[in-house]
Amino acid sequence: MKGEAPVDRATLERVRALSERQLSPEEVRAALAVPLGEAEEEESRSLIRWFRRRYPTPAERLAYARRAYLRWTAARPRP
Amino acid sequence: MQGSEFDEAAFFQAIAASGARALLIGRRALVALGIPVLTADYDFWLHIDDIATFNAAVEPQGLFPTRTPDEARGRGRYVLENDERVDVLVARTVPTVDGVRVAFEDVWSRRRTLEAAAGITVAVPALDDLILTKRFGGRPKDLEDIRLLEALRREGP
Repeated sequence: MKGEAPVDRATLERVRALSERQLSPEEVRAALAVPLGEAEEEESRSLIRWFRRRYPTPAERLAYARRAYLRWTAARPRP
Repeated sequence: MQGSEFDEAAFFQAIAASGARALLIGRRALVALGIPVLTADYDFWLHIDDIATFNAAVEPQGLFPTRTPDEARGRGRYVLENDERVDVLVARTVPTVDGVRVAFEDVWSRRRTLEAAAGITVAVPALDDLILTKRFGGRPKDLEDIRLLEALRREGP
């Protein structure tokens, strides 16, 4: 994210609202019926391979997640 | 949130030592399995009879429940919070948004354990069950997590 313009708080709130809205059963079934595209799957698996290689144990991964969250909260815009 | 002051290893150790039947679910479980996602809190699915045991175990970590055990049983969930936040699900069965009933006892019987810190284990659902728990919420972010879990499944152990 280095070099990118900071995202303002209102945009963050809109993104959060969109990602956390409650879907209907029909929307969930429809979404789950769509298989992963080849590019999406490769991107996800590549990310997982990197993470598991860089942090081989669950303990290391959990520690990474705490550090990453602290970095994110330190960088996000304040009200 | 002062995350750096929270001793995560001690938190998991206290839960493991308490004997409470507690499953780590949510994004923290995804992270432990190998999916790099951002998360603020901890999510557990706890046996409905183990609320008091669980609460007593994490109290030394400065975590206090928002509801009494009876209230939590009535509502099916509660929160432990202070500098950290722990969402706790306590229902015997939970329906997915598309109507599948998932029983704690079944998920607990199929659990796997991960080493959350040196010599300290945490129980997580089997991969298929973790995917089911992601269908409890039915939010776009849950569907995204399901896609990542499917990719993890294909990636193998």
